[in-house]
Amino acid sequence: MKVCSASSAIGGSRLLNLLAGIAALAMVLVSATAIMWQPPVAKASPQTIDSDSGSYIPRTQYLSPVAMKLSLNGRWLYIVCEDSEQVLAVDTYSRRVVRRARVGRMPRGIALSPDGKTLYVSNENSDTVSEIDAETFQIRRTLPVGWRPVGLTTDRAGKVLYVANTLGDDISLVDLNSGREFKRLQAGHYPEYIALSRDGTRIYVANLLARIAPADQPPVSELTVIDTSHQVVAARVNVPGAIQMRHIAELPPSAGGYLLVPFMQPKNLNPLVQIQQGWYLTHGLAVIRPAVAAADGPQKYKVSEVLLDDIDHYYADGFGAAVTPDGRWALVTASGANVVSVVDTAMLRHLLLHTPPARQQELANRLDSASHFVAERLSVGRNPTDVVASPDGRFAYIANRMDDTVSVVDMRSTQIASTIDLGGPREISRERSGERLFFDASHCYQGQMACATCHPHEGLSDGLAWSLETPKLGRDVVENRTLYGIDGTSPFKWNGKNPNLQTQDGPRTAMYIFRSQGFSSKEVNDLVAYIDSLRLPRNPHLASNSQLTDAQTRGRAIFFRDRTMDGKLIPPLDRCYTCHSPLSHYTSRVLMDVGTATPDDTIRAFDVPQLESVVTRPPYLHNGEALELEDIWTKFNPHDKHGVTSDLNKAQLNDLIEFLKTL
Amino acid sequence: MERTKAISRVRDLLCIVGLLILATGWATAQASSYYTKWINYTSANGFPPGEVYCVTVDGNRVWAGTGHGLVLLEDGRIKKIFTTKDGLSGMAVMSVAVDKQTGAVWIGTFGGLSRYSGGQFTNYTNLSSGLANDLVYGVAVQGQYVWVATTAGVNRFDTYTGSWQIFNESNAPFEEPWTYSISVGAEKVYFAVWGGGVLSYDLANHYWKPYTDPDGEMELVLYRNQGLIHNIVSSVSWNPDTKTFWASTYFGLSSYDGRNWHNYLKKDSGLISNFINAVKSRGDEVFACTQKGLSEFNTRTNTWVTYRPDPKTGRGEILITRPGGNKRHMESSTTLAHNYILNLDFQGDDIWVATANGLSHGIRKHSKVVAIPR
Repeated sequence: MKVCSASSAIGGSRLLNLLAGIAALAMVLVSATAIMWQPPVAKASPQTIDSDSGSYIPRTQYLSPVAMKLSLNGRWLYIVCEDSEQVLAVDTYSRRVVRRARVGRMPRGIALSPDGKTLYVSNENSDTVSEIDAETFQIRRTLPVGWRPVGLTTDRAGKVLYVANTLGDDISLVDLNSGREFKRLQAGHYPEYIALSRDGTRIYVANLLARIAPADQPPVSELTVIDTSHQVVAARVNVPGAIQMRHIAELPPSAGGYLLVPFMQPKNLNPLVQIQQGWYLTHGLAVIRPAVAAADGPQKYKVSEVLLDDIDHYYADGFGAAVTPDGRWALVTASGANVVSVVDTAMLRHLLLHTPPARQQELANRLDSASHFVAERLSVGRNPTDVVASPDGRFAYIANRMDDTVSVVDMRSTQIASTIDLGGPREISRERSGERLFFDASHCYQGQMACATCHPHEGLSDGLAWSLETPKLGRDVVENRTLYGIDGTSPFKWNGKNPNLQTQDGPRTAMYIFRSQGFSSKEVNDLVAYIDSLRLPRNPHLASNSQLTDAQTRGRAIFFRDRTMDGKLIPPLDRCYTCHSPLSHYTSRVLMDVGTATPDDTIRAFDVPQLESVVTRPPYLHNGEALELEDIWTKFNPHDKHGVTSDLNKAQLNDLIEFLKTL
Repeated sequence: MERTKAISRVRDLLCIVGLLILATGWATAQASSYYTKWINYTSANGFPPGEVYCVTVDGNRVWAGTGHGLVLLEDGRIKKIFTTKDGLSGMAVMSVAVDKQTGAVWIGTFGGLSRYSGGQFTNYTNLSSGLANDLVYGVAVQGQYVWVATTAGVNRFDTYTGSWQIFNESNAPFEEPWTYSISVGAEKVYFAVWGGGVLSYDLANHYWKPYTDPDGEMELVLYRNQGLIHNIVSSVSWNPDTKTFWASTYFGLSSYDGRNWHNYLKKDSGLISNFINAVKSRGDEVFACTQKGLSEFNTRTNTWVTYRPDPKTGRGEILITRPGGNKRHMESSTTLAHNYILNLDFQGDDIWVATANGLSHGIRKHSKVVAIPR
């Protein structure tokens, strides 16, 4: 295997020798480790180390309200707090917290039974749903569901619970009589939020990420539609050019019956220079007109896209969406801009209906449209996520995740009426400060984006390849990478140019991404503290007792092998574990040329990515060419430069992949 | 007293006669229930030309796999012909399975495996997934698993975890890896293996069991009713009503109920040909898709009925073989699109038949056919 540095072609052989020496030493260590190796155990809950005593201290327990539901009469506001792992009940009259219930780990979504007597809260880190008595706040049952559940709703009869499992890319259907999951429907990619149609015949599922597709193609996201009478997928509606669809709001039939879904439109196929023309990425609404019942099929759904951004200012990271009961107003939170846009739905409908068909597609890119239908921009608290409207249409409530508050909007005046303090800690820890920065787009030119814009779901990769190098227009397209578990995996960037996160998040981000003054030194350190705190999600492919299956065990032997299947010695640098060392998050933290560079790349060697949680973050390779793990070896390793794999048969390659999924 | 006895005898006699009349009428009705109305879908009425490799009924929808794509019929009308341009993994469609739980349609093609759901195709190929081979002959759904029969063994795909498992000669008793069809039972999954007989996989205990021809691959049947009739098995069908699996081979038909084997050959039954492409069974009915017509066997009445176009006249020919070899010949005005039969599925009382030249919809009618003595 040829090894070279991106920084210098001169002295390449010296570096080669150095790296070979390091690799040989690593190989000895790794071989010993491989023998002793045990699968990783589940990580403990987040803690920080006290700098003075060196002992572990618990993180400050913020609330972080992230999802809400109102009782049927509007009296009680139920709020899910992901950090404190609680659900709260707020009396909307007194605007005080009156009840609390402890739920599972990292609760993210909430649903209310049709009779208003039961709450269901999804616990993302527990893979469960808590069933709660809405009056007494007692936990009745804990229902097991799929992997990392977020959005959920019951059907109209309250007999079946539909739960969107983000990591499983599927929907669990739970029989609420028995409490058992009785089927699982495949969704799109990373289904997050879910809504029952007004007539009860459909469940709509918004998928956060686009379908896995070639990196040189515009992304296409999916709105999954489930027929509630047959409990099958009725349609997979394409939403072209969009990613990060979040909450779904449905207008009443009198207001057009549209579905409104906030989204982000990445321009990742354009060189980053486009930011100077305001076209790097935009934020808006997918406006989807559903089919009439029993006439499904993707072609039956009309999808329009409009932008909520203005020409000179952006409303980053649309998240929550709600409509007033009469359908007059729609409220959409911009979680990165700390703003709620109040949409006059009649004006929006007028725009859609009176735009000639030939110009409909233009709407998706017109930054002058929002002024036609956005009636108000309301400043709310930090990182507004969910929004709900009261049944009488008088008020709307917005959960401000980073403030531990709820903003109350008087819908008669469409102005902020008050703010409810949920009682979170007053002091702001270093990590919390960094977390606030992570979600805040104000540091970017024209407020276009925050860190969370390209790393949604608190650190995920958006799954897209971007052209980030301005001087090299269209060259060096690189795949975005997750932030989960990156502590200790430096250097950063695919070209390894950033030796630490301070460089990555400070001057590099300011110069190449935000196009602004960027963060101060303190802010950078806070941000790095937050990013370092992002843990890898629990790996569902690994049994809870860390026992490997037969296939995983065989795959592990292949990963750590030093001989081919016919007994030939594999050169040290061509073994999996040399570059993906288990001693260091399964990365050697150097640049390696594994034959994956293309003519569009100006370098040949790339940072070796860590393999932990690799299965959760397709596509693969530096430019996202490999859509599945298999592709890495079946399509992009013709000369065995990316490890010797040509001697493996299909079953052995499957075993290797089964092992990689456990990391 | 005498009069009472006489009345009683007459009453008994009348009862017996009545029962006989009823039984005869019922038997006649049973015997005369034939597929006499056939509606054919061929290139003449917009269907893709040539072979139809498979047919699967899903309520009022019928999926037919052809060499030119996948045809969807709804209420007897062609609704759509899907090709690779629509996202299908291959043009030659060999098998279709509908997941009743999720509504997803799984399609085996000569370009991989496709899932059709919500109007979109998702493809799985040898290069981009754990699929053993892109030549997919059979597919079946068993709970959260999708079983796939390929030329390089059998795959089990877990739709919940995305994991692929390959079964072949290295980890299961496959004499040959080339697998044609799959049938899912309550406790086992059955596989038809070309040259390898029938294999079953026990779902609870996770073990494989082979069923093979006791006299090897010989074209002679030396051990009648003692095992599979031949190891070149083209298809297998589990009958949940009789708890029996049926296996079609290129040299006859076999059934096994867990205790007894039965072998059926052309020479001493009503089977029209020993060269059988597929078998399908439910209740008392067994249909053998042969190279010379469609043979139906009723296991309760021990009666065979074969449907085929008369090679000479082109009219419908119905050949009936009763127990003891008594044969009748009938005609019908309509018949199958071709006598080379590849596959079949049930739709209530009706059947859909894949032939070498189009798809046929057979409608069972109580007989108005003309019996022609021979």
